[in-house]
Amino acid sequence: MFFDVALYTSLALLVLGLVYKLWCWLTTSIGPDSRHYTPAQRLSASLKGLIRALRGRSLGPMMAALVLDGLFQRRSLGHSRWAWAAHMFIFWGMMGLIFLHALGPVLIPGFTATLNPWLFLRNLFGVMLLAGAIMAMWRRLRLPGLRRTTHWADRAALALLALLVLSGFALEGAKIVSVHSFDSMIEEYGNLAEDNDRAALGQVWREHYGVVFPQGQVPAGLELMERGLELHQDSCVDCHDNPQWAFASWPLSRLMAPMAGWLEAAQTALWLYYLHFLAAFAALAILPFSKFLHIFTGPLLLMIRVAKPREEMAPAARALVRALELDVCTHCGACSVHCSVAEAVNHVPNLSVLPSEKLMALGRLARGKTDYSEMLDVMRQGAYMCTSCLRCTTLCPVGINLQDLWFAMKDDLEEAGYGPTTRTVAEKASETAGTSRSVAPFKVNNGEFQKGLGLSVQADTFRNCYRCATCSNSCPVVFSYEDPKKELDLLPHQIMHTLGLGLADEAMGARMTWYCLTCYRCQEACPQGVKVADVLYELRNLAAARQGQGESC
Amino acid sequence: MKYALFLGCKIPYYVPHYEIATRRVLGELGVELVDLEFPCCGYPMRHLYFRSYLLSAARGLALAESQDLNITTPCKCCFGAQKRAQKFLADNPELLREINAELAAEGLNYSGKVQVRHILQVMHDDVGMTELQSRVKRPYELLRAAILYGCHAVRPSEVTHFDDPSNLHLIDDLVKVTGASPVTWAGRLSCCGAPVRERNPELALATIRRRLSEAREARADILVIACAYSQMQAEWAYSLAGPPPQRELIEGPVLYPQLLGLSMGLTAKDVALDRNTPNGEYLISFLRRD
Repeated sequence: MFFDVALYTSLALLVLGLVYKLWCWLTTSIGPDSRHYTPAQRLSASLKGLIRALRGRSLGPMMAALVLDGLFQRRSLGHSRWAWAAHMFIFWGMMGLIFLHALGPVLIPGFTATLNPWLFLRNLFGVMLLAGAIMAMWRRLRLPGLRRTTHWADRAALALLALLVLSGFALEGAKIVSVHSFDSMIEEYGNLAEDNDRAALGQVWREHYGVVFPQGQVPAGLELMERGLELHQDSCVDCHDNPQWAFASWPLSRLMAPMAGWLEAAQTALWLYYLHFLAAFAALAILPFSKFLHIFTGPLLLMIRVAKPREEMAPAARALVRALELDVCTHCGACSVHCSVAEAVNHVPNLSVLPSEKLMALGRLARGKTDYSEMLDVMRQGAYMCTSCLRCTTLCPVGINLQDLWFAMKDDLEEAGYGPTTRTVAEKASETAGTSRSVAPFKVNNGEFQKGLGLSVQADTFRNCYRCATCSNSCPVVFSYEDPKKELDLLPHQIMHTLGLGLADEAMGARMTWYCLTCYRCQEACPQGVKVADVLYELRNLAAARQGQGESC
Repeated sequence: MKYALFLGCKIPYYVPHYEIATRRVLGELGVELVDLEFPCCGYPMRHLYFRSYLLSAARGLALAESQDLNITTPCKCCFGAQKRAQKFLADNPELLREINAELAAEGLNYSGKVQVRHILQVMHDDVGMTELQSRVKRPYELLRAAILYGCHAVRPSEVTHFDDPSNLHLIDDLVKVTGASPVTWAGRLSCCGAPVRERNPELALATIRRRLSEAREARADILVIACAYSQMQAEWAYSLAGPPPQRELIEGPVLYPQLLGLSMGLTAKDVALDRNTPNGEYLISFLRRD
């Protein structure tokens, strides 16, 4: 009764969750170009694409991807051999257990869980799964690059897997020692005739099967043993191999043996049964809303990506695939460990620089689960620190085209008024300079600002400037404008002079500071050794820091 | 000749042809390239995040040091950023100590011994001009080449040491060896506009368009580039320009390893000329006919 209700409830929740997810893939939009397509258009474009792919030459590559990238997770090897090993253990352990628990009884004639090879295999798969989960947890706790992006949900998922296995082993161990289990089996299957038969069989099961009887309940004796073996042959042996084959549960049962009576009184086996099955059903029910969903979405995406390059996809189908990708991510952290600009988070306190975290933020944003206005500024910074080096896309084990998502995300941000960080910082600095110009006469400060310069060691060389304007005359930016004074606010030599006067806002706000091409002609040409281009770099840094967009130290 | 190849962030996605040509040609010339998982050179971060720039640059340098390798890079901006970072760290021991403290977390240390060299320097100095000369099987004829030297390689010269600053000749030598003739043109030492593409795309586009039309005014057939960013800029300008009759641009940008490779007898496909924008296979028509 409990079993059926729990099973069907969790299956119903699973189906409802999957339907909801499908709806999400049809309605979530990433990138302005995704917004034009209705769920019906997305569905039909995707199905058409699928049919074309199956009809065309893609079937072979898709199957190869399914086997190599899906079943054997070839792509994980690019990340780390240990990560691959951990996931192979988890994956094959889990597949084995699902097969033995859910499909074996249906598909295999005469399947008996307590007979070999199933008895042994159940333990083997369980140990594999447990070992994989422990390896994964160890990596997440030990490796700094992974620890940084590990969330409670990652630990919870691994803990749930461990709970599943451990409760299973404990349940099997508890049943091995349990007299109650022994008696209920006798009741159901035992062909016992004489008064002493229970004791006779019990002797066999105590000696060979590990059942722990209370003191004096099963007397020893050669004669009884013979009768017991006879009964055993008759009623038990067809369904039971020696429990030592359950190589994980058996030692556990030996640990339980000294307290068997107490465990029996507390109905431990029953509680473990509830725990084990509830954990399994809980995993099933939350699957659509957890990283476990990648069991379905991962292989799907791995096949889609080899069927057709992203650029060639019908736009409506691409919209669906992008939304799907949000639910393929397993948050394994490979992208963030290998990210080209990962070091930036040491000084820029914004985890959305890292691909895995950027994707989570994007997911929350795309589904409207987060306060829009606060998030966008943070996400913009992360988005524009990305150098589009393609590494995350190249090594994502489940084949997410992160590069495509980042471009789409930048378009979304731009549309919401959050363009490139440097452009925004420049505009704000210009505004500040404009205000200070109109409100009050120039205020010469006491030199504090000049002291602030100095990151580049020689930045204070601006003091040597004698305003010969060689820098401005060699500047290609100045050369590019008809009326440079008007369009650039200040020319390079004027900026150097402005610094001498301590007019920070003016220097940082001058458009020249931001339009600098960093070609270093000015610096190369300066007869006084002023590091003009380096100083301009530094001004941009200072402006960002002042606006809270820069580094934290 | 063994180097760690520092591709940088732009080449894998935006200029894959540069990687193909570089690997192929350096391989032919006997330069062994080792692939390490390098971080960003830090250049794009330098505008707003100086410490991140230095840390990222130093991490790449330290990574090469940990393998006892020197670095060679096809990108002028990676080259310049790493050279600049080396100078910052050499000039400021306090900064070096702090950066090294951060690197220590993953067992890395930057001592300063690693050398950063552009692939053109490797070809010019390590492989050597005599060897290159002997490798050119089919030189070009009547090919006028406008060379874009690349700001971040040449300047600040006291930092980059790319070439003799008062008499730049390195790329001219390399171009001459293929039989092509370097032309005198206005944009030789000028900027391609890439650094401001994000915050002022109009200026970025105007800058590269000016370079391309200057090259055309000098009646050059190709623009020789050896930088990921400059190539991106030139290809961007082409993709935005109208069809050929109206286009006031020269034939097209060619990456130096492509130019050299073809004259060494490699095929256009070997050096990925077909992946240039515009398609660079027209270069074949300039090869001497045997």
